[in-house]
Amino acid sequence: MTNYREVYGEILADHHECPRNWGKLTDATEEEKGYNPLCGDQVTLFLKMTGNKLEKCTFEGEGCSICMASASIMTERVQGHTSEEVAKMVEGFREKMQGAEVVAGMPSETDEDDIVALYGVKRFPVRIKCALLPWTTLKKGLEHHEHP
Amino acid sequence: MNSIVRKDFPNLERVIDGKRLCYLDNAATSQRPKKVIDAVVKYYTQMNANVHRGVYSLSQEATDAFEAVRGKVARFIGAKTEREIIITKGTTESINLIASSYGDLAIQAGDVIAVTRMEHHSNFVPWQQLAKRKKARFEIIELTNDLRLDPKDVDRVLALKPKILAISLLSNVTGVINPIHSLAARFKMLGTTIVVDAAQGIAHGEVVLDRLGPIDFMAFSSHKLCGPTGVGILWGREELLNKMSPYQFGGNMISHVGDHETEWNELPHKFEAGTPDIAGVIGFGAAIDYIETMGRMRIEAYEQSITEAVIQALKEVPGVRLLGPSDAHHRAPIFSLAIEGVHAHDLATFLDMQGISVRAGHHCTHPLMMKLGLPATCRASFSFYNTLDEVNLLIKALKEAPIFFKRGSR
Repeated sequence: MTNYREVYGEILADHHECPRNWGKLTDATEEEKGYNPLCGDQVTLFLKMTGNKLEKCTFEGEGCSICMASASIMTERVQGHTSEEVAKMVEGFREKMQGAEVVAGMPSETDEDDIVALYGVKRFPVRIKCALLPWTTLKKGLEHHEHP
Repeated sequence: MNSIVRKDFPNLERVIDGKRLCYLDNAATSQRPKKVIDAVVKYYTQMNANVHRGVYSLSQEATDAFEAVRGKVARFIGAKTEREIIITKGTTESINLIASSYGDLAIQAGDVIAVTRMEHHSNFVPWQQLAKRKKARFEIIELTNDLRLDPKDVDRVLALKPKILAISLLSNVTGVINPIHSLAARFKMLGTTIVVDAAQGIAHGEVVLDRLGPIDFMAFSSHKLCGPTGVGILWGREELLNKMSPYQFGGNMISHVGDHETEWNELPHKFEAGTPDIAGVIGFGAAIDYIETMGRMRIEAYEQSITEAVIQALKEVPGVRLLGPSDAHHRAPIFSLAIEGVHAHDLATFLDMQGISVRAGHHCTHPLMMKLGLPATCRASFSFYNTLDEVNLLIKALKEAPIFFKRGSR
């Protein structure tokens, strides 16, 4: 029989099974919890901000494979960027997931980039919110950093 | 019974991704038979007019059809009079109406309001908030390990002499059927007002007031009983409803409006402000007719056989955890499942790929799920139109799920 790797794709399965940047950050400057009350997915992000720069971003959580894989892919992507750049990535990702074909600054479907694997979640419309949760949580975290 | 019955439900013919729909989310909402859909269409195409207002014959026809459903509901549950049948938007509105209107009347600071750990948010939050508003005590009756009411905790709460006990007839998570009759009898001796949430219960078995003991209010929805969405019922004892103030103000619920004072209409209209979902109510009447033709006893017996088949078959699925009792006794065909290592969402998507529709999530029962330490479960809930073939389909998929989600299986 088929395996979830074939349906969700190798990259998502890999991030789900071996999440990158998993765990607490002892020197975090910001800790942000995200919760999807409809389905029970939860994620906690640990952010280390130096000035305006998101130096490090790690996560812990309990949720479905798509939510956890999305968090893993996101943390890899956003580290080392300024909060403006990260905010743009979050918005760009949301637009892609909501069906936009071309979004400035975001890889396209044919690019070789782990985030492209997440675009595939659009095939399961009810699961889009699972993929978005880490990103919206990150946005909240950055806002809290700016306006404590 | 089901192979003939299924033909009555057009949506059960749906094919999704080349697979015939296996609808196992009946605890969320049931499917509708063609007769119900036809009744709704007939109202809009042949009878459409507002109720309780016009002097013209079309409005009278609509009013008669609408009011006939009230009588039908009264007979269906064995109410003494149609004045005790309040038509609402659904169970949620019915319970909010009681918590707001009766709660205001009956609850003082320091009083005890009791619910159980297995309540749906709609029979939990209104009472919790009433308690906060009134500075009353909010007590939760806890459950045993197999998620039935804990008799010791029932005794504890009983000793507190609660003013109100709000309890579901049947849990939407575990399918456990509560012994309402004996509980009501014991609490009533202490003067407790008993509110029964029959949202799930109404769809399983013969729910007749006499058999529920000395209860005071009962709430349920049309849409779990093959009727349209947007329609619910609140049954209450006439003497209590008479004492209560209106819940909402507007058209129909008044008898006279002056510049500074208003007199309320009589029961049941006092609680029915504004134009109701007329088509939905008429459709609900057709649903009750349909259910009565099927026979509630027959439905119950058939569903019992489904419950037994699922419980038996689940024993042969490795790694699956069934929430609640592991026997079919006093249990409706609602099954919340967790598979070790597979998140409920992933499981639900996998089942959806086989054409099986189940619910994944917390089922609007945060207080229960927190207690169980589970963020989410998958829930398969059956109705009388589901078949043993569908039981087998679910079981087969559950057996395959751990293989499908096996980690590192490149």
